Amino acid sequence: MEIIMAWRNVWRNPRRTILTVMAIAFACLILVFMLSFQVGVYEVMINAAVKTQTGHIQVTAVNYHKDQKIRKVVEHPEKIKTLVESVPHVTAHTFRASSFALLSSETRTVGGMVTGIDPEKEPKVSSAAAVIRKGRFLNAEDKEAAVIGTLLAKNLKINIGDELVILGSGRDGSIAAGILEVVGIFSSGMDDYDRSGIQIPLTYFQETFAMGDAVHQVVAICDSLWAVTETQQHISKALKEIEGERELVCRSWNQIMPGLVQSIQMDLGGGIIFYGILIVVVAFSILNTFLMAVFERTREFGTLLAMGARPGRLSKMLLYESGFLTLCGLVLGICAGAALTLWAQHSGISMGEAEGMLRQYGIPGIIRPKLSLLTAIAGPVVVFIITMLTAVYPAVKVHRLNPVDAMHAA
Amino acid sequence: MKNILQITLVYILFQLMASPLTVLAETPDARQLVGLAWDYMRGETSVSVVHMTVHRATWERKSTIKAWTRGRDTSIFQIIAPKKDKGNGTLKLERDMWTFNPKINRVIKIPPSMMSQSWMGSDFSNNDLSKADSILNDYTHEIVAKEANEGMNVYTVKSMPKPDAPVIWGMQTLKIREDGILLFQSFHDEDLEPVKEMTTTQITNMGGKPFPIRWTMRSIDAESPEDYTLLEYETLEFDVPLKKNLFTLNALKKPLR
Repeated sequence: MEIIMAWRNVWRNPRRTILTVMAIAFACLILVFMLSFQVGVYEVMINAAVKTQTGHIQVTAVNYHKDQKIRKVVEHPEKIKTLVESVPHVTAHTFRASSFALLSSETRTVGGMVTGIDPEKEPKVSSAAAVIRKGRFLNAEDKEAAVIGTLLAKNLKINIGDELVILGSGRDGSIAAGILEVVGIFSSGMDDYDRSGIQIPLTYFQETFAMGDAVHQVVAICDSLWAVTETQQHISKALKEIEGERELVCRSWNQIMPGLVQSIQMDLGGGIIFYGILIVVVAFSILNTFLMAVFERTREFGTLLAMGARPGRLSKMLLYESGFLTLCGLVLGICAGAALTLWAQHSGISMGEAEGMLRQYGIPGIIRPKLSLLTAIAGPVVVFIITMLTAVYPAVKVHRLNPVDAMHAA
Repeated sequence: MKNILQITLVYILFQLMASPLTVLAETPDARQLVGLAWDYMRGETSVSVVHMTVHRATWERKSTIKAWTRGRDTSIFQIIAPKKDKGNGTLKLERDMWTFNPKINRVIKIPPSMMSQSWMGSDFSNNDLSKADSILNDYTHEIVAKEANEGMNVYTVKSMPKPDAPVIWGMQTLKIREDGILLFQSFHDEDLEPVKEMTTTQITNMGGKPFPIRWTMRSIDAESPEDYTLLEYETLEFDVPLKKNLFTLNALKKPLR
């Protein structure tokens, strides 16, 4: 009975109803799209950072990240390799070893970070091969070869084919020295790395720096960002069971790069303030509609009360009315928002001018919003709760009506 | 005759005044004291053989280094053991420093920014090893305490870098015995927190004068209290005549004697 009355009341003033429904729908649409867009951008940011440096997951010696001493090694990387390969979701993995060393050309000497990489596996884990600007990436036949950062090449005044001397300390404290040929120059987009980074074949690194078979990092990539935590826990647990490897830890990208997580949180915080304002505006518009409804229908409510309707039924009816309005808006908004997001997800949003710059650094210039159940539902649910709360006020007000006074009201 | 006597007397007086080995009077000038200590350590020239032990909780490495110094700012040293590192050498002339590696047969100039880097994984920096005179040129000194130890005065000197000095320490503290023996040196960061400390022990007669033969450097933020680097003098001679071409890049490339 109340439901039918509420439905009819909703359509008593179609223009007002449609405007209110549109306001709610529009708010929902924006929420769905913006949330999906943000998630999409974050995924791109994270993937770019993960691809240039850290990988999704790293197995290293305890505290290696705090103090990258050459002695803090993964002693038996083959064991870890077997473990990582057995874990679901891991799509690629590689070994790395690195050490600080003096880098010297004919004319200049600077300090730099020498990283030994596996030329075959590295491109599957990182964008190292994709960011080569000049020359080529390392290959399996290379021995005394190196790829170096653009700024480093500039500082050392060297080019492809030139000779580069490295001088550092080996794992046993002995002096590590070698002469390398520069085969490629990369530009990762991160100035720090481009200024000091040099990559050489892992086997040559191990030989020169007296590493034996040891490495510093086992880096793995998962099939999706969402599987990282699960995979990390899995590996951490398994690490404890490997005999003699208690000194190792498994860390995920968000632990390795807390700065990135913080900047995402900051951006999300800004977004939430914006959404808050949007929802408050919508809430006021709904409150306005309902207050109007109660004011202009005071006589009608009086009559209903006089005919024996209990105030509770009137409140119920009013709540149904607001429920119908909101639900109409929500359904419309979610559908439109999802449609818009799916379309954008399919065709991608071009970043215009910035595209070339982004692409250079291995970040796709097209950003695709990412629609998920969470991004589609989270915003509208908040809108629903807020509007229902605003509807409570007129519903309570009806309770206090006196039939006679109400019928006499203008 | 009288003239000659006079000249001789003046000469002797001058010698006494100029000699860095003069034992200092009651309250010495701080800068003079530090200068005395550094000259004491290096002499006019010096030749030494030193064993270096880099000790960590789970790891230790020993090597042997032969070093020559001349004046306050010239030195050359070469590793003579273990075999793997034999022939690696370092030359320091004033503010410039070069290192030579026989395996790659190259001399590399060490940029000034690397002078404070750890040397061969030890707690000593390139600067520490060459007994850098940076402390004499780039710091102002002040005596802050005086104590008696075995019948001799030991002065504590606080050294602050000059405003524009190209140094990495925010402060250094020195303990110098009145005869010029450096007993303690600590290195502080910009917040004046200690970063590493060096103590010298076992003062023995070496090179014709009392000299501490064990030098221990510890980093304050080391992972375990067992971490240290120890230098032990095996032989030490002062004021030996050295070949003029000893401190050259060419000499660095050959095994030194």
